Amino acid sequence: MTVASKPAPRATIDLWRWAGRAFLAVMMLFTLLPMVWMLLTSIKSGFAALQFPPQWWPNEPTLASYKKLLDPTSSVGEDFLRFFWNSLFVSTMSTILSVIVAVPAAYAFSRFDFPGRKFLFFSVLLRNMFPAVVFLVPLFILMRFLGLMNTHGSLILTYLTFGLPLAIWLLKGFYDNIPYQLEQAARIDGASRFQAFLLIIMPLSVPGIIATAIYSFIGAWNEYIFAYTFINRNDRLTLPIGIQRFFSESSSDFPGLMAASFMMSVPVVVLFLMLQRYFVRALTEGAVKH
Amino acid sequence: MAHVVLKNLIKTYGGYNAVNDVSLTINDGEFVALVGPSGCGKTTTLNLVAGLTSLTSGEILIGERLVNDVDPKNRDIAMVFQNYALYPQKTVYANLAFPLQMRKLPRDEIDRKVKQAAQMLDMTHLLERKPRELSGGQQQRVALGRALVRDPAVFLMDEPLSNLDAKLRVQMRSEIKRFHQDLKATIIYVTHDQLEAVTMADKLAVMSGGNLQQYDSPAKVFANPVNMFVASFIGSPAMSLVPLTASTVDGRAVLAGAEGWTLALSPLNARKVQRATSSKVVLGARHSTIKLTTSAVPGAIPAKAYTVEPTGDVTFVQAMLSGAIVNISVPPDVAVEADQPIWLAFDQDRMHLFDGATELALKAD
Ligand SMILES: Nc1ncnc2c1ncn2[C@@H]1O[C@H](COP(=O)(O)OP(=O)(O)OP(=O)(O)O)[C@@H](O)[C@H]1O
Ligand SMILES: [Mg+2]
Repeated sequence: MTVASKPAPRATIDLWRWAGRAFLAVMMLFTLLPMVWMLLTSIKSGFAALQFPPQWWPNEPTLASYKKLLDPTSSVGEDFLRFFWNSLFVSTMSTILSVIVAVPAAYAFSRFDFPGRKFLFFSVLLRNMFPAVVFLVPLFILMRFLGLMNTHGSLILTYLTFGLPLAIWLLKGFYDNIPYQLEQAARIDGASRFQAFLLIIMPLSVPGIIATAIYSFIGAWNEYIFAYTFINRNDRLTLPIGIQRFFSESSSDFPGLMAASFMMSVPVVVLFLMLQRYFVRALTEGAVKH
Repeated sequence: MAHVVLKNLIKTYGGYNAVNDVSLTINDGEFVALVGPSGCGKTTTLNLVAGLTSLTSGEILIGERLVNDVDPKNRDIAMVFQNYALYPQKTVYANLAFPLQMRKLPRDEIDRKVKQAAQMLDMTHLLERKPRELSGGQQQRVALGRALVRDPAVFLMDEPLSNLDAKLRVQMRSEIKRFHQDLKATIIYVTHDQLEAVTMADKLAVMSGGNLQQYDSPAKVFANPVNMFVASFIGSPAMSLVPLTASTVDGRAVLAGAEGWTLALSPLNARKVQRATSSKVVLGARHSTIKLTTSAVPGAIPAKAYTVEPTGDVTFVQAMLSGAIVNISVPPDVAVEADQPIWLAFDQDRMHLFDGATELALKAD
């Protein structure tokens, strides 16, 4: 007997392994350093932030910027908290509506054979084949026609049109992977068609639902162009526009800007940390057929 | 328990009849096996009875009730699926309790029934596990348990053993049979394994291409297959089918083989052959009804051994006759070698004759 293929020498494997690690380390620094810099700047005084050469670690760390932002009695704080609330409202509503629409839609695409099913599913995906800006002007005209300019409704509707196609597609993959015999079993065991969905299929698709929820929340939370175009009234602005406008007026308050940016990333990070377990499961389970 | 009547069931999928005019009566307490090759419409028939698939036409009665438009949940049936269909997020206990909860039974009664079913299937120690923490055989038991906690009018089982290994399959086979005897349950059992069907069922319903071919007890189906399909499907190894030509020699009816030999027929078999629609007749013989000798015997047909397969208990010898393979079993001590000349004698009382054109069994009257 002869050995069919000689294993690669150990040294070569090690080399690749270490090259991979080095690459990952560089990528990690690349993504993490700006965030670290944001945090460090946010706890500097306005003067220290502008110093050159920069202070890597602030001599006198201060939470003054955060206090200012979170103080509802100051004008800065009042604005910031209102923007924050607006963003939270718009994102949460888009998320809830997106789940409410996507779950039954995906289930129907997966389980029912109705006329126009293929065409409808394709048209759902068609929307995602164009860059979002293409829809800016048409949606602007539509929103003005509907009298929704300067309302949060315009943003919620818009974010739904972006979030829904992917949500439906992701969830359909999920339902496709759940054997239909489970529903048949439930229906024989005494459940109605709807109960079979609610009691057996829904719980199984929770990871998928959470993943789509996170996806649409983050999408809505970070969206800039449409919010910038549809909303002009100061009291209705969402965070990305609010921060940008506010601080382009007082252009040198870098610690304030960084503190606001940091606070803006908090909900997303918290959400992700809480639910990432499901998110990963959803992405892997959707991909692999059992 | 209840009887089940299927009248002229038809299920059409886009112009194709997956189930084609199937009529069956299943008596109260009877174990009926729906058996046939893959794709013959067994699952579709079962789903029609369960109400999971809508009928194209026909009638289904469970007990005295016409259930054509009754929801699955109200048909008073339980079903065991081929892939078990256990609820993956629920424990074994919750899986068994689910059908009872859906019927709004009081909690203590649910608890009692679940424990009783678990005891019966010897899985009390598994109640807190999730299905994915169970072996295939254990999952199969849970699936069975979920069906029997409710004592329904009819049990439907769709190839419940096909995912198990050979040894477990034999064991579960006898457990299900035992369960049927104890509960006097009406069971419709789908399988493509004719051995499973023959060993377990009171009656076989043999299907092919959406059509019901024969519906009778295993012994009768085995002894009197109505056509060549049933003859070759039931029994293992399959019945040998040899295409021959009917003719007469000196006023006596004979069957002639392609090699030039003739086989004289008994008066009964001669009458059968007379009823064939043409001179093409197919001779069917099971391996154990053919007598093999290694020297010439009057009435025996000369042939040559093609392959020899010793299995320990018996040795199977294959020979070519009229272009068909004939399977013969001989005791292991009979020495036969490939290419050795052999002589085959067919048992006139146990041979089967089929019309070569219609493939139907020939009858004397
Ligand atoms: N939903 C469907 N749409 C179209 N054709 C179908 C559908 N379900 C079944 N068929 C067809 O009907 C025929 C019978 O299918 P069925 O599932 O009843 O076969 P089966 O006897 O259970 O086979 P197996 O032993 O492989 O399970 C097959 O030819 C199948 O392709
Ligand atoms: Mg089947």
